[in-house]
Amino acid sequence: MNEGAAAPSSFYEAAVKIYPREVQGRFASKRNVAVIVLLGLFYGMAWLRWHGRQALLFDLPARKFYVFGLTLWPQDFWYMALLMIIAALSLFFFTALAGRVFCGFACPQTVWTEMFLWLERLTEGTRHRRMRLDEAPWGVEKVLRKAAKQVLWVTLAVYTGFTFVGYFTPIRSIAAQILDASLGPWAIFWIFLYSLATYGNAGFLREQVCKYMCPYARFQSVMFDEDTLIIAYDPARGEPRGARRRGTDPGTLGLGDCIDCTLCVQVCPTGIDIRKGLQYECIACAACVDACDDVMDKMQSPRGLVRYTTENSMMGRPTHKARPRLFVYGAILALAAGAIVYSLAIRTPLLLDVIRDRNALYREVHGDRIENAYTLKVINEDEHAHRYRLEVRGLEGLTLVEPSSAVEVASGTVGSVPVRLQAPSEEAHGVHAITLHIVALDEPRIERTERTRFIGPS
Amino acid sequence: MSRQQRIDIGLVLWPSFLAAALASLLFFAAVDPQLLRDAGPRVFEGLDREEGYALGFFFFWSMGIVASATSVFLLRTARGDRPGHRDDEAGP
Repeated sequence: MNEGAAAPSSFYEAAVKIYPREVQGRFASKRNVAVIVLLGLFYGMAWLRWHGRQALLFDLPARKFYVFGLTLWPQDFWYMALLMIIAALSLFFFTALAGRVFCGFACPQTVWTEMFLWLERLTEGTRHRRMRLDEAPWGVEKVLRKAAKQVLWVTLAVYTGFTFVGYFTPIRSIAAQILDASLGPWAIFWIFLYSLATYGNAGFLREQVCKYMCPYARFQSVMFDEDTLIIAYDPARGEPRGARRRGTDPGTLGLGDCIDCTLCVQVCPTGIDIRKGLQYECIACAACVDACDDVMDKMQSPRGLVRYTTENSMMGRPTHKARPRLFVYGAILALAAGAIVYSLAIRTPLLLDVIRDRNALYREVHGDRIENAYTLKVINEDEHAHRYRLEVRGLEGLTLVEPSSAVEVASGTVGSVPVRLQAPSEEAHGVHAITLHIVALDEPRIERTERTRFIGPS
Repeated sequence: MSRQQRIDIGLVLWPSFLAAALASLLFFAAVDPQLLRDAGPRVFEGLDREEGYALGFFFFWSMGIVASATSVFLLRTARGDRPGHRDDEAGP
């Protein structure tokens, strides 16, 4: 394997700085919309309020997740697990369907890199000017432009870090703490870390994240088949490539439609030449499609020399939209999504833990009755307080001595309720399986049943 | 530092970071760091939850770094036709 690998130091090609050329067109507009929507959601959602608290808050110190009206406790972790499975399956599904649309339009790496590129263009100008600026000796203009870019980049990175931490600690309280300079060392550390990650990924590493760090880029090919949408150059139509005057018929020159303007290479954020065929560095951003369509318009040739297509279509075979792979991914996805919706719909915002008294198995009272003691942990996951009534079943003559009335548990708290149960001695020999049933007085649908044991003398 | 050494460092730090994030997520979903502190040795006394999470994350990360670094070390020092092996310097 790898016979071409010479000295170890030359095994990896040197990273060449890529200056993506600005591009306009159908797909660039779609990406702009995606960037605005996704970043708008990210920066905006943190400030959204819901019933007097942050709508989306992953309160790690309190071990509670707030998602609008829902309060999720560590016991609800499997919702998170299911959500992650759904996210992974969606990625599989959309990859099989439309290739790497996620990479080109929705991946945070792409979205933030796009933002950083906008700021770069704002301060350093177009691709050509940026390249000239980097080659130029340091002067007043270069210092000013580079400094302006760094100020914008660092500001955006720090604001991103701040927003990110704001999903884990209430963002308004962090903002207030920043304003009166009372932010704790951990908050500062995490904001700094995420700022650094944003700056490093979107400002410094950019396409290298996709090329060297992203596992998805390497294994997405297993989800591909001959009917998956890819971005491809049509060599049958384009070759042999070559320059020509506008308005000349390429046929008379023995040329294809590609005028070899290299714009498709210049706009590529990962610096590849799409005319060399499908490469794993291609994030399917379709910048080359926009660039080439524009050139084809100018040359009065039909669009689509570089286009979204499928391997089958390139080979002149029919493309199958409906294929088993899609149905399998789709069915599993629908099943997982259905499971989460169903379980959320029937979810009871109440959890019950029964802990037996560890000190004594049982106690004789009044000479003819056996008493067992328990502690109930009543976890009220609902948005408001409830009063709960307790019932016991499973043994003849079993009565509830304590609590003698309904217990109240405030919203989002764990009520610790001492419980004493008594049964007549003649009924209570040995170990009995009993059930504890708890129900909210104001909402009978909120109820839980837990099993435990009632122990008497053998 | 050569480019390959820098990439090796990335190959050690990055996957172990991902693994540590996943491990922290799964572990702390099931275990409250405060319970660990109360049950664990006295060095953890006075630690609050956030510090517990951070400590746990960096612990998982360091273990991942050990594993990744061992893999990279074994790959780079093996005799054979592995890419980047010292014997390759002789060339074909």
